[in-house]
Amino acid sequence: MTAGISGYNSYVPRLRIKKEDYAKAWGSFQAAGVSEKAVMSFDEDALTAASRVSKRALESVPMAPAKVTRFAFASTTAPYLEKLLSGTVLVNVGMPNSAFTTDHTTSTRAGTEALVSGIEHVKASPGGVAVVATADAPRASMWDPLEHPMGAGAAGFVLSSENLIAEVEGYASFAMEHFGERFKPAGEGTLQDLNVKKFFASAFTTCTTKACASLLKKLGTKPEDYAHVVIQQPDAKTPGSVAGKLMFNDAQMASGLVSVNLGDLGAASTTVGLVAALDAAKVGDRIIMISYGSGAGSDAVSLKVVSDRKPVPSFKDQLEKKEYIDYIQYVKLKGALK
Amino acid sequence: MAHVSVPMYWRTIPQRYQMMGQKCKKCGAVNFPPKGVCKYCNASSEFEELQLSGKGKVHTFVLIGAGGAPPEFADQMKAGGSYPVAIVELAEGPKVIGQMTDVNPKDVKMGMPVKAELKKIYTEEGVIRYGFKFAPDLEGK
Repeated sequence: MTAGISGYNSYVPRLRIKKEDYAKAWGSFQAAGVSEKAVMSFDEDALTAASRVSKRALESVPMAPAKVTRFAFASTTAPYLEKLLSGTVLVNVGMPNSAFTTDHTTSTRAGTEALVSGIEHVKASPGGVAVVATADAPRASMWDPLEHPMGAGAAGFVLSSENLIAEVEGYASFAMEHFGERFKPAGEGTLQDLNVKKFFASAFTTCTTKACASLLKKLGTKPEDYAHVVIQQPDAKTPGSVAGKLMFNDAQMASGLVSVNLGDLGAASTTVGLVAALDAAKVGDRIIMISYGSGAGSDAVSLKVVSDRKPVPSFKDQLEKKEYIDYIQYVKLKGALK
Repeated sequence: MAHVSVPMYWRTIPQRYQMMGQKCKKCGAVNFPPKGVCKYCNASSEFEELQLSGKGKVHTFVLIGAGGAPPEFADQMKAGGSYPVAIVELAEGPKVIGQMTDVNPKDVKMGMPVKAELKKIYTEEGVIRYGFKFAPDLEGK
């Protein structure tokens, strides 16, 4: 059965901090290619942002929440380590209590885990409707340069087999054992990294290229068939480093490179990138998204745009509606002074 | 808002998360938050549930500054500065009190269109209390 995206939208928090403010505080800003990043306000978290994008995605179809049969939530910064998270969003949005819900939380690959699980639901259940909400504001210790690229954002999708904006052509994954990069041991609150850049580069390259290559092979598509390419963005340079190996160019990456203005969006990195690409896409365009999560694994998803229906507010409108804060305000909002 | 116990909060989830209101079966007025007896006719305790749209406009507002915040909002004040609290006239009629969000306090105006959004209200006993705040209604523009 055909499955695809019937509605989508993003949520970009209005607060931003510029790289110059980090440089003033720390002497340098260690987030290659990122010029500014989005910041959640004191009263927001991954669940409030997930609610926002779920509602926006449903309104963009438009579809009544009562029709939803599957809900998947993804974030690496869930407000609780144990407690059902998806229920909060389910109730707020008004989706049925009988919908099967899942929480995807342990790596930045979680966004595509949720998306693929939604697609599989639609393919397996005639008349099924899945809502996927990915929302993240990754955090690390303010002492750690790992914290510099971390931004905030969310993207939501309504997946079904009718009234499609983009058809999902296929997906492929690659997972392996890799450790020492971006991990949070049980019982410890902060994100850690052994900072062996070469290991990270090799895991990132292996997972993304293997998932992508197996998808292209499965579908019989070539790199040049894609008008838009979205690769996981821990900063704004890393995705470019594997794009060349996959024979993608900068022009294909332009529409979905959201980290330049928003920072690392964690589990919502490739999904917000997908929203930006969908907003820019024309009917007939192909989009490929390739996520990466430390530990490590990647999912690649290929889509073909079949309608030029666009949601409001657009991603671009949200990008332009912003208010800057300085580093001290940033540290206060992050609760790092407690 | 003073301390609200966890069980009391549970019982109000429909109104706090979904803006579920009630329509008086006798006089037809919409009550929100829900009441035991209709606050408009004072003559009926028979209601039907009514899903409110969450949309409305700012009737009036005030800025809560240093020293003015109740204890559960003190951290929010410290971290983010003064915050606006509005009386919002909902599209269905009732006037409700709520914080304004996703807006610079300087940009809040009487009469501005707003929409209810789920936000963190405060945290007590390690439990995050979610509920609605009002954001400028820009969607669809």
